[in-house]
Amino acid sequence: MTQHDPALISAALAGIERALNQAIALSPTSHDELAGLAGTVLGVEVTTVDLTVYLDIISGTEARLMTHCELPTAAFVRGTVEDFASLASSKDPAAVLINSGIELEGNSGSLIALQQVISRMDIDWEAPLVATLGDVMGHQIAETLRSMFRWGESAHSSLRRQISEFVLEEARLTPPKAELEYFFDAVQSLSMQVDRVQNKLEKLRAKVEQKRGQA
Amino acid sequence: MTDDTTSTPHEEENTTDFGFSRVNRGDKAGMVRGVFDSVAGRYDLMNDLMSGGIHRIWKRFTIELSAVRTGQTVLDIAGGTGDLAAKFSRLVGPEGQVILADINAAMLTVGRDRLIDKGATGNVQVVQADAQALPFDDNSIDCITIAFGLRNVTDKAMALRSMLRVLRPGGRLLVLEFSTPTSALLGKLYDQYSFQILPAMGRLIAQDAESYRYLAESIRQHPDQETLLEMMEVAGFANCRYHNMTGGVVALHQGFKA
Ligand SMILES: C[S@@+](CC[C@H](N)C(=O)[O-])C[C@H]1O[C@@H](n2cnc3c(N)ncnc32)[C@H](O)[C@@H]1O
Repeated sequence: MTQHDPALISAALAGIERALNQAIALSPTSHDELAGLAGTVLGVEVTTVDLTVYLDIISGTEARLMTHCELPTAAFVRGTVEDFASLASSKDPAAVLINSGIELEGNSGSLIALQQVISRMDIDWEAPLVATLGDVMGHQIAETLRSMFRWGESAHSSLRRQISEFVLEEARLTPPKAELEYFFDAVQSLSMQVDRVQNKLEKLRAKVEQKRGQA
Repeated sequence: MTDDTTSTPHEEENTTDFGFSRVNRGDKAGMVRGVFDSVAGRYDLMNDLMSGGIHRIWKRFTIELSAVRTGQTVLDIAGGTGDLAAKFSRLVGPEGQVILADINAAMLTVGRDRLIDKGATGNVQVVQADAQALPFDDNSIDCITIAFGLRNVTDKAMALRSMLRVLRPGGRLLVLEFSTPTSALLGKLYDQYSFQILPAMGRLIAQDAESYRYLAESIRQHPDQETLLEMMEVAGFANCRYHNMTGGVVALHQGFKA
């Protein structure tokens, strides 16, 4: 089980999935290539934040993103936020794959095939992410996705630092934006604020106790 | 162990909860029917407005956890207007089978129309049925979902046992239901929302504040996360667990037939 609110993750995935499927629809040349991958499920686990996402190529025209999947995966990639960030910003992803802590299980062929199909499409990652997760988080994740699928095109020097800092510490600071409207906004941001205050209290308490211990 | 342990405190008596009121056990089903007869036509619109569309996200996660695949048989009980059934229809494919079941004919009529609109017809069966006495064979279903339905059922323990009976060994039940927010602050905000804003929206849009007041009250009467988990275990489900969503406003419980 993840410690994340499944509703928040699902909302983000729903947004990305929509962007991805729109891009597929607008890119007829990708349909044959994707059809060749139909039935392929890929898993990505980001260990630092305890998040796993599965991509299921349903057909030549449709993909599905999930946080839970019981189908066999063709390939499964596991790494820390830093690993993926350096992979994303690297000019030589193959070298990063070999040298970083990223673990790859299964068939790297399908992974690379998919990366190539997607990199040729023009996907608006940003709009759905910003809409569900808010400006800062949405923008950062969109940047990662963009660069992951454009290996070598541009190196984002500060990305690695930004993402790991952001995901680990700032995630809770951004209340979700517009699209999910009144109810979601109110409830979710409040719960995050409560979490944040609780976190701060716990940190303070730990500090106080540490000081006491030292004294 | 007797059934009484699985019931909410008053259920062993001759009365049961209807929102915050007490009514005769035999009357609850009819009164619940009245509520859903009255909201059926505008149910989908209200659902989107009241939850800001987020019920779609809760349902999306429910579908993920169902892990339903081609060829399977899925029952969506208390399925109302067929949101989940339409999604399952695509997932099980032409070899599979989806049963949209509800006690309320008006909700099913809306549901049937929606399914036709969505092109989900070939593999969906619409059945009027009471969750407490499911009219299906033992061991015949791979996955059962009940979304925002269990709290309306008079005898929840009986419904859980009935679901266990029709599930295949290895099959799973998913209960998506309003639950208890995990923080007091969130709970307060949520109370205000459901007792003030929600009935007001019901009055404005559906001209029916009473039905929406019932909905809000019935949410508060529903067992909290741990209580429902225990009820599922007592009914005989294995590997029971739950996921809180949106700070516990909603919980998704999962259990398997061993
Ligand atoms: C709030 S609606 C939920 C509809 C749908 N599952 C959804 O999530 O949108 C609750 C439904 O439960 C149905 N219901 C109430 N008591 C029931 C029972 N004993 N057996 C089956 N369905 C019941 C009502 O008729 C109504 O359609």
